[in-house]
Amino acid sequence: MAAVNTTGPAPYIYACTRMRVRKAALLPREEYMRMLNMELPEITRFIEETRYKAEIDELASSFSGVDLMENALSWNLAKDYQKVLELVPGHLKHFTKAYLLKWDIRNVLTLLRAKIQGASVGKIKEIQIPAGSLNRTVLDRLDSEDSTDRILDGLKGHMLYGVFEREMSAAVESGSFARMENELYKAYYSILLKEAKSGVKGGAAFLKYVRLDIDTKNLETVFRVKGESDGEKIRELMIEGGTFTLDELVRFAGSDSLDEMIETIRKKLNTEAFDSAFEAVKEAKSSQGVEIGLIKAKLTEMDRISKLYPMSVAPVIAYLELKSYEVSNLRALARGKESNLPSESIEACMVV
Amino acid sequence: MAVETMTIEVAQASAVGFKAIGAGLAVGLAGMGTGLAQLGIGGAAVGATAENKEMFGLALLFTVIPETVVIFGLVVALLLLFT
Repeated sequence: MAAVNTTGPAPYIYACTRMRVRKAALLPREEYMRMLNMELPEITRFIEETRYKAEIDELASSFSGVDLMENALSWNLAKDYQKVLELVPGHLKHFTKAYLLKWDIRNVLTLLRAKIQGASVGKIKEIQIPAGSLNRTVLDRLDSEDSTDRILDGLKGHMLYGVFEREMSAAVESGSFARMENELYKAYYSILLKEAKSGVKGGAAFLKYVRLDIDTKNLETVFRVKGESDGEKIRELMIEGGTFTLDELVRFAGSDSLDEMIETIRKKLNTEAFDSAFEAVKEAKSSQGVEIGLIKAKLTEMDRISKLYPMSVAPVIAYLELKSYEVSNLRALARGKESNLPSESIEACMVV
Repeated sequence: MAVETMTIEVAQASAVGFKAIGAGLAVGLAGMGTGLAQLGIGGAAVGATAENKEMFGLALLFTVIPETVVIFGLVVALLLLFT
């Protein structure tokens, strides 16, 4: 049950302002462009001068090079998300907790995939980011389990336990977690929709975000599978609850006329934020280019929602999303530099 | 005759009383208005300062801006009481 607001609007104003200040402190585009011209040690030093200093200093004795940067980024992200969860009041905490469930999906899937491949506990711990409801202690306990059944037992009581239980044996047997991942994300979005429609004050802003996220994910899938005619197969990949119905999405994916499809989507979305992503599709850019275009469109639209609902969960989620993209940008930058990729290729992988 | 004298005295006393009530309302209501305005600004100011200490001066300045309203109320109260 959501907490009841007994303190007036001040704690909400306080928390939303903190999120705005944090959002403003994220790395701007110019800094990424500067970092693209630096070498890895320079980037690490540069990052050390920003909000990642504590983690870099803490881990410098255990890691070096790109591993130091990756671990510091993951630690910082997890710590930051947990701090945000601590400081947001009332229904904002309720919605933020639901939103952060996706990190549990990511962590458990990482753990299962790593276990199947025989990765060491230390390595699994390094790649997990305890930003959701499964904290470091719970994840450590799960990491040390040897069998998937024991891992499943450890997840008892989790909001997504039903899906884990239903899909686990088939996934372990086949060695592929793709279907399980799809089902988990479908369940995740249905939980978010349920929370947003539960009648808790502030649900409207959260519902707008959830719909936007579902639309972005569905459009990404539509553009990936376009031309595919197997309706049932496509239907299975789509998430219900967004602006478009499953029938519409299946029709879009099987449509022959790209222009017509994009025009229909544009009319229904009723926003200009997605225009550049649609241009990328029309220019037949790589799926990565389209994906990044869609993410940028989502972030632009989220920024608009957070201004429309300034004292809601929208500014909180806008910050959390931008922060996760900052971390993935820096990770791409570090990995790209380590692999001696040209700056253009690294830039193409970043959401800036 | 006695009744008329009493009435004037009562009227004079009432005028003083009403002035005092007016002065009280001027300060009280203006204070409540200021409080309401500072509720939002104060919350945001503390939030901004918690994230960035350098914001303290500016945040404090924004927080005290609604104080002008209560000063207007005080001026009106003083004018009522002493003129």
